[in-house]
Amino acid sequence: MLRVERVTKCFGGLMAVNDVSFNLAKVGITGLIGPNGSGKTTLFHLITAFYALDEGRIFFDGKEISRRSPHTISRMGLIRTFQQTRILPFLSTIDNLIAAVPDQTGEGFLPNFLRPAQVRREERRNRERAEEILEIVNMTHMKDELAGHLSYGQQKLVELGRVLMASPRMILLDEPTAGINPTLIRQLVDIIVRLSERGIQIFLIEHNMPIMAELCERVLVMDSGSLIFSGTPGEAQEHEAVIEAYLGRRDHVA
Amino acid sequence: MDYLLHIMILVAIYSIFAISLNLEMGYTGLYNFGHVAFFGIGAYASALLSLQGMPVWFSMVCAMMIAGGLGALIAVPALRLTGDYFGIATLVFAEMVRLFFLNERGLTRGPMGLPGIPRPSFIAEGVHGLPMYLVFCVILTILVFLVIRRVTTGPFGRALKVVREDEYVAQALGKNAFVFKIKAVTVGSVLAGLAGAQWAHYVSYISPGDFTLNETILVLLCVVLGGRGTNWGPVLGACAIVFFGEAVRFLPIPPDFGRFVAPIQGMVYGLILVVMMLKRPEGILPEYRSR
Amino acid sequence: MTYYLQLLLNGMVAGSVYAMFAVGLTMVYGVFRFINFAHGELIAWGAYLVLLFYLEPCSLPLYAAVVPALLVTVLIGLAQDRFVYKPLRHSSHITLLIASIGLSYLLRNAIRLIWGSDLMTYGLGLTRGISFAGLSITWIQIAMVGAALVFLGFLYILLNFTILGKSLRAVSDNMDLADIMGISMKRIGLTVWLLASVFAGTGGILLALDTNLEPMMGLTNLIKAFAAVLLGGAGNVWGALLGGLFIGIAENVGVAFFSPGYKDFISFAVIILMLLFRPRGIFGIAGGVR
Repeated sequence: MLRVERVTKCFGGLMAVNDVSFNLAKVGITGLIGPNGSGKTTLFHLITAFYALDEGRIFFDGKEISRRSPHTISRMGLIRTFQQTRILPFLSTIDNLIAAVPDQTGEGFLPNFLRPAQVRREERRNRERAEEILEIVNMTHMKDELAGHLSYGQQKLVELGRVLMASPRMILLDEPTAGINPTLIRQLVDIIVRLSERGIQIFLIEHNMPIMAELCERVLVMDSGSLIFSGTPGEAQEHEAVIEAYLGRRDHVA
Repeated sequence: MDYLLHIMILVAIYSIFAISLNLEMGYTGLYNFGHVAFFGIGAYASALLSLQGMPVWFSMVCAMMIAGGLGALIAVPALRLTGDYFGIATLVFAEMVRLFFLNERGLTRGPMGLPGIPRPSFIAEGVHGLPMYLVFCVILTILVFLVIRRVTTGPFGRALKVVREDEYVAQALGKNAFVFKIKAVTVGSVLAGLAGAQWAHYVSYISPGDFTLNETILVLLCVVLGGRGTNWGPVLGACAIVFFGEAVRFLPIPPDFGRFVAPIQGMVYGLILVVMMLKRPEGILPEYRSR
Repeated sequence: MTYYLQLLLNGMVAGSVYAMFAVGLTMVYGVFRFINFAHGELIAWGAYLVLLFYLEPCSLPLYAAVVPALLVTVLIGLAQDRFVYKPLRHSSHITLLIASIGLSYLLRNAIRLIWGSDLMTYGLGLTRGISFAGLSITWIQIAMVGAALVFLGFLYILLNFTILGKSLRAVSDNMDLADIMGISMKRIGLTVWLLASVFAGTGGILLALDTNLEPMMGLTNLIKAFAAVLLGGAGNVWGALLGGLFIGIAENVGVAFFSPGYKDFISFAVIILMLLFRPRGIFGIAGGVR
């Protein structure tokens, strides 16, 4: 579903992503790991067009997305989260979710006057969906709270819920468990598993090795911008280049 | 009594002007400091057309279209700039428009201005027409308020706020931030043109000196004071500013000190802007009620 | 031909003062990363304060009135930072911009309050000058260029040969790093506001000597200074200098080609064009007080 071909990105003299190629077919959950600064988040930015490619091509669902704009890619069903949660603090929790639905009729200016009934209907439907999703992520009790008042872990859950509202076909998760307590981590992991069972393909960056090993059927390893390994988590832990990449750095175990 | 009518007409007109700026600034986060340019363009366009003999309602509608069209046109390149540079560029644009009004004597009679702008045919000229003109303005203000409220309390307004708060998230959620901004500026400019046209037909004489940085600051104050991202905020702000601006006439000031009034008012306005930024940049009316 | 040369000369005179304005503005940007809209009012207040000390009741001779005038101007500049910009140091750019617009409006109206809205002069009458090769220049204009040279020369020495100057350059390059390295932000901030105020005030006085004073002079010259800053790349001192010269020359020579009423248009056009097409400037590299 996601095919990345010889993708390269330089910042001045720094080669952040160096000739990376891989293909994620309909495999359930794939992990992307590597030491800090290895280019993982940059790769996400490149896939979702928040950065422009220097070289290479990217395909989603058979169609080339290398030169499209971020919002177009999102509308194709490829949704991402950010390393720092980017919840909208001035909207309520449920509004954060409703806002995430793409292609709302009411988002045009004129339809609010030309097709009011349809706008109202969609709003109601979106609100119902949002409430369902809030159930899934266990945040129903905070539904009307200003999102800025939520704790960091709660915001991460809401962000995941927001991703769901967009009816994604594939989700890119950037360090979903970073900075949250073990209980919430378990909740997150359960949600991610359920998403995968619904047929949504998942590609996640993670530093938490046990979680990664538990979730992912396949793992890609990056170091200094290059892809150095692709295989199962078990194989990765034994692989020489992977061990070398992490050598001298502390293991990021939760 | 006439004076009260005058103040209320000003409040009505400035409410529309402030609502239109609030749509751009408060909801979408576009700091359009050149907004007065579209007020002026609306005023001049409507005045010139009606002085050529067109019916006033037709002139006003055309003025709105022209203002909106120019707004969209300017927005396309201007939106490439980040927040504060966008503000400066739009400010400079407004000054350029004023210079244009000042220098193109063939079209606008330059500094001499345009006198004799007619009222709509069903409203009398001069003081007799005041009550009817007030009704006219109030109806328009209510309409504009309702239209904007409808649009901002629904998905459109929500999407604008997303664009305002975090453009990256907007993109990640599939919203084309650029298109939303253009829409906001276009609607804002159309409404500013309406307010300008209303004003031109009210005062019946306009000149380039009516559309300066002063007016920019006044309307900016309305939005900054009132409360960004709310619907009543700009109206509240317009009331406050118009009343403060006009109410000083009722103070018993000895004639020798008459010349101090305007500068002191100006200082107060400047001070309010500074203090609001220091203490409560979102404005008086809160955007959200936290529970 | 002499006509154009004269215009060029006029342009260089005006440009040297614009350069002084621009340098102050760009230094504040270089260190604090915002455009001080109220910079123009430092220009205006410098000029008007001389009036205060020159006329009754102080009645100081003109050259002596300059000293207290500049002192007070510096105080105003420091007060701007202390009361408005420092509390807003970590706010968004737009909050700073609005606050500086408000501050400039406040200061400008204060001038109107104290001195009124009419044009004023120092009352020196037509001053004489020298003529050569068919060109003429007044003594005041020579003083303008001379003062600019002296001040800018001093700045050059400061930036390149003193520790303070080098610290200034370091801070504008990277404020956090400089802070960690132990450079006193307080001292740097003070220096920048001092320099900006003195340059602005002096330029304002010179300009008023050559032309006149009116309340809008702050805003009018701010626009020109800003255009010059953009030409040089925001934060680049020597770029701002060249930018100021360019604006001065373009304005004066341009009058030969289009209506004088559009003279201000040049600065506006420069600002718009630079912002849209070359925000990093033409005359220099972006970033850093170099």
